[in-house]
Amino acid sequence: MSDLDRQIEQLKRCEPLKESEVKALCLKAIEILVEESNVQRVDAPVTICGDIHGQFYDMKELFKVGGDCPKTNYLFLGDFVDRGFYSVETFLLLLALKVRYPDRITLIRGNHESRQITQVYGFYDECLRKYGSVNVWRYCTDIFDYLSLSALIENKIFSVHGGLSPAITTLDQIRTIDRKQEVPHDGAMCDLLWSDPEDIVDGWGLSPRGAGFLFGGSVVSSFNHTNNIDYICRAHQLVMEGYKWMFNNQIVTVWSAPNYCYRCGNVAAILELDGNLNKQFRVFEAAPQDSRGAPAKKPAPDYFL
Amino acid sequence: MGAPAPEKSQTNASSMQRVKVYRLNEDGKWDDQGTGHVTIDYLERSEDLGLFVYDEEDNETILLHRVSSDDIYRKQEDSIISWRDPEYATELALSFQEPSGCSYIWDHICNVQRNMHFSTLNSETFQSTNSELKELPAVELTTLPLILKTIVDSSISDQIRIAELLSSNQEFFRKLMGLFRVCEDLENVDDLRTIFKIVKGIILLNSPPLLERIFKEEFIVDIIGALEYDPEVTCVQHHRKFLKDHVVFKEAIPIKDPIALEKIHQTYRVGYLKDVVLARVLDDATCATINSIIHANNAFVIAMLKDDSTFIQELFARLKSSATSQESKKNLVHFLYEFCSVSKSLQMVQQLRLFRDLMNEGIFDIVSDVLQSQDKKLVLTGTDILLLFMNQDPNLLRSYVVRQEGIALLGLLVKGMVTDFGESMHCQFLEILRILLDSSTLTGPQRDTIIDIFFEKHLGQLFEVITASCPSDNIADASSKSIGPGQDVRFQHGTKPEILSNICELLCFCVLHHPYRIKGNFLVNNAIEKILLLTRRAERYLVVCAVRFVRTVLSRNDEHMMNYFVRNNILKPIIDAFVANGNRYNLLNSAVLELFEFIRKENLKLLLKHLVDSFWGQLVKFEHLASIHSLKVKYEQCVDNGGTDAAAVVDLRRRIDERAVEREEEERYFNEDSDEEDAASASVSREPKGHQQPILSNGVASNHPQSSRRSLVDYEDDEDDEDYKPPPRKQKEASEEDEGILESLRLKRKLPSKDKEPEVAKKQKLTKNSKSKESVFAALCSTLSQAVLPSKKSAINIHKDGHSVEGDDHTVEGRMSSSDDNKEDRQSDSRSSSDDSNIGGAEDKHEEKDTSASRSFSDCLHAKSDNIQLSGDECPLVPPKSSPEMAVNGS
Repeated sequence: MSDLDRQIEQLKRCEPLKESEVKALCLKAIEILVEESNVQRVDAPVTICGDIHGQFYDMKELFKVGGDCPKTNYLFLGDFVDRGFYSVETFLLLLALKVRYPDRITLIRGNHESRQITQVYGFYDECLRKYGSVNVWRYCTDIFDYLSLSALIENKIFSVHGGLSPAITTLDQIRTIDRKQEVPHDGAMCDLLWSDPEDIVDGWGLSPRGAGFLFGGSVVSSFNHTNNIDYICRAHQLVMEGYKWMFNNQIVTVWSAPNYCYRCGNVAAILELDGNLNKQFRVFEAAPQDSRGAPAKKPAPDYFL
Repeated sequence: MGAPAPEKSQTNASSMQRVKVYRLNEDGKWDDQGTGHVTIDYLERSEDLGLFVYDEEDNETILLHRVSSDDIYRKQEDSIISWRDPEYATELALSFQEPSGCSYIWDHICNVQRNMHFSTLNSETFQSTNSELKELPAVELTTLPLILKTIVDSSISDQIRIAELLSSNQEFFRKLMGLFRVCEDLENVDDLRTIFKIVKGIILLNSPPLLERIFKEEFIVDIIGALEYDPEVTCVQHHRKFLKDHVVFKEAIPIKDPIALEKIHQTYRVGYLKDVVLARVLDDATCATINSIIHANNAFVIAMLKDDSTFIQELFARLKSSATSQESKKNLVHFLYEFCSVSKSLQMVQQLRLFRDLMNEGIFDIVSDVLQSQDKKLVLTGTDILLLFMNQDPNLLRSYVVRQEGIALLGLLVKGMVTDFGESMHCQFLEILRILLDSSTLTGPQRDTIIDIFFEKHLGQLFEVITASCPSDNIADASSKSIGPGQDVRFQHGTKPEILSNICELLCFCVLHHPYRIKGNFLVNNAIEKILLLTRRAERYLVVCAVRFVRTVLSRNDEHMMNYFVRNNILKPIIDAFVANGNRYNLLNSAVLELFEFIRKENLKLLLKHLVDSFWGQLVKFEHLASIHSLKVKYEQCVDNGGTDAAAVVDLRRRIDERAVEREEEERYFNEDSDEEDAASASVSREPKGHQQPILSNGVASNHPQSSRRSLVDYEDDEDDEDYKPPPRKQKEASEEDEGILESLRLKRKLPSKDKEPEVAKKQKLTKNSKSKESVFAALCSTLSQAVLPSKKSAINIHKDGHSVEGDDHTVEGRMSSSDDNKEDRQSDSRSSSDDSNIGGAEDKHEEKDTSASRSFSDCLHAKSDNIQLSGDECPLVPPKSSPEMAVNGS
């Protein structure tokens, strides 16, 4: 068994890797991710997953429902970290799978894959708590900068974490973004990760999130038409039923963190597409409480103070 | 069991008491006996209490049951109480409509039982079942279940009473722990598990004095022992063994004060209890209480040690002495690190004073020594100490580094950055250097000195590392056509690629923060050419690093620089790399195309002309790409227009004019919008940039035509107005002084009034935007993520709110909302943020029950300073101490 396979097994038990292993993993991941495009092409069949937010045991439920990687081809729409208790293990497992099976799992960037956001919503603190330093956070956030911004499934389904941008009318325009940077506060890259579709908006509206935009049905129609795609698949917003169609089936939200924040009471969903792009949503619930292990943390065995 | 008819909750007494009565028949099935209301009352002609259920239709008695003192009752889920009834000789069950009704009756039954016990044990009768708990049960093996019930199943008010009783009772824990030891000797697992539950219940009472008591030396080991018997954990726990056999208390310098010593040990054990033993068990509130105990202990110990001058002197004397052994020096350094780290528990001012004192004692000399150690782990501990100082006040280290004795330290940091640490992470070096050189925090006389020293002494060293690690010209010529992953042209020369990438990142940082030094330091000695040698590396991400460096330099938009680029054919390696990359759509492809777009959109005519004149032969095969095609079109337009200089001037003028117009529009907008904000709109941005984004109040936004919403596009006559100009690298402040750049950098971090001074008024507007039930809920949700474990109560509340949101729209994360119903003025300070978390859907309940959550939220906001707007659940906010990479990556 290779080191990597061993590490994957370890991460599947929700045991974080050593700092040195994280470093090696990240360096390998960079070499893979740098070759990906801003609109990463993905073949069907594929299973699309929305936000995970560090809910490790719920992600294991997801894999139970959707099948293991690499048997199932996965596309994760970002927001791997923050809020849940196991952002470190969650992200590292996905990253290890990416390095092990680069063609069987695609990770794109969410708005939480950002230095600023993770300092506020938990990932930073979790790294500090679990490793005693923020080095792991630094390495992981460097990786975030390399993550692709969107995916295109069989030229027909555009997948992105947040939504559309007024600066982007064609998929080709996404090409000229140098994505290796912290998520900016405005502009196309920001919008792709932050925007939301909104019923009451005609055209574009200001987003209450303070970044990205709200966009209405007409925007989606014209985008889909221009780029000759069937529909947009995105995440970013909690939907109680796990998925939600909008604008006459032109855009769907997929949410994969059941009982979000361990208390929202929602179910989660993943979207399975077969070779002919037939859709099947698989809805699942949070992992039972007793399947959660204790947070893996052993304090240093010696102390001065 | 079927639940009673789902009649939506009026929480009055009748619905609380509404139950179905079930009886187990001989076939093992539950027979429905009818629906009625349950009460507890005295039985006729008796002092005993009983359960009565009267039929809701005809008031017939469905059930009459004498409450037994035996432990026959079971509470199932939240709404069922069942028991084996001696009189009916079968199982009976009450299924409650309301969980609250169930717990109400359950509490009553427990009270009745307790009183019966007390009256038999103490021959003392209680006046009524509702009377407040007066005394704890005696601690004996037989009473353990009763004690457990008393602690776990009592109402909130009773819990407070129990905590008081436990705190004032001197004997309780002594006896309980005595029982624990007896049970353990006898391997009496059942009672051990009961004791586990009792101890857990006591901890979850979350009473600080009670926790203080059980954390005392006298009890804590036994408490931890008792917690090893969690019936829900199948594998045996060995916490005491770990603490006894594996944990070592190291004393670098003997600490003599017994109180301090006790606190140190206690802190470790309490931390262990919290993080390991109780990790699954603790709720937020209890966790916070325990944290504050740890915090207070730390502060006490540090305050004591720092004021003990002999202690500090001895510490430093030993650290400096050559007689001290390596091993003990290592311990001393680790101690020093923990000492500095734990001092975070002090108040800010005190910590700063402590750090100054440590500096005066010579801590930086010691770190300089440590950085030269052969022991890499020790070296990294040294950098960790420096980082603690940097995060507190970077000027302490700066003031040291510019002194004669401190100059070496800067060199050691640079050396550390380019040293291979093998498997270990050593990003600390880059981090420290960046903070040292961060112009936004540079003040005072050291300001220039430190930059001078760094640029003069160390920049060349960094260039050398790059040149030594990249293929030389000859080899490059042979291989430049085939740069790709397979083509292994690795010239490591011992330098790992991640180090080269770090160097490049630091160089970009220097360019951004000290642009006026580019000419003096990067245009001489072929420095840029040296950096561009990275394009010959096989690792694609290093090639991209080099492209990004050039892009950063060009963002200065400086004529002189562009001339230099053209004269020295600087772009050639980039074009070569781009061409060699072929049709791969990867990060390199995007980065170069972005560079071309920048040149085109910024109308950098010199470079545009140079690009097409010199490289069109190579680029023509990529003409199918829109960016390459547009480059050519733009070039032709330029040529048609004739002299480049005149055009450039016109462009510049137009740009200025348009900015003025925009500025006016914006002012007008803000003036119109509200009267009370006049003052704010008067302060206008000093350097408005392309991405003006008028801030609209809600409702307006949705109807605005796209064009007025945001001017995303160029000012000048771009043929393609829809084209998007990526903002991150946009730097128009070419003519500005250094401060201008910094200012704009800082401003860019603010959202969404990006281009402005942080005007209070605009923030008010923003906070207004965010007032909606959903966003408040989301905000609360986000606070919850900060806590380690959810508390049950808030979980219930939020869950309910979640449903109310559900009814409205299924999306919970921040939505656009109408602010009409919230007319009151918001203030942009953190206080209003905490208010925000209490308005909207969750208001009252959260105000009452989630105060700790909202407090932590406001604290968090407060800590992250003023440039946060609470909008939706999250905004891309930047803490003031944001790490400097944001400046590099995010600008």
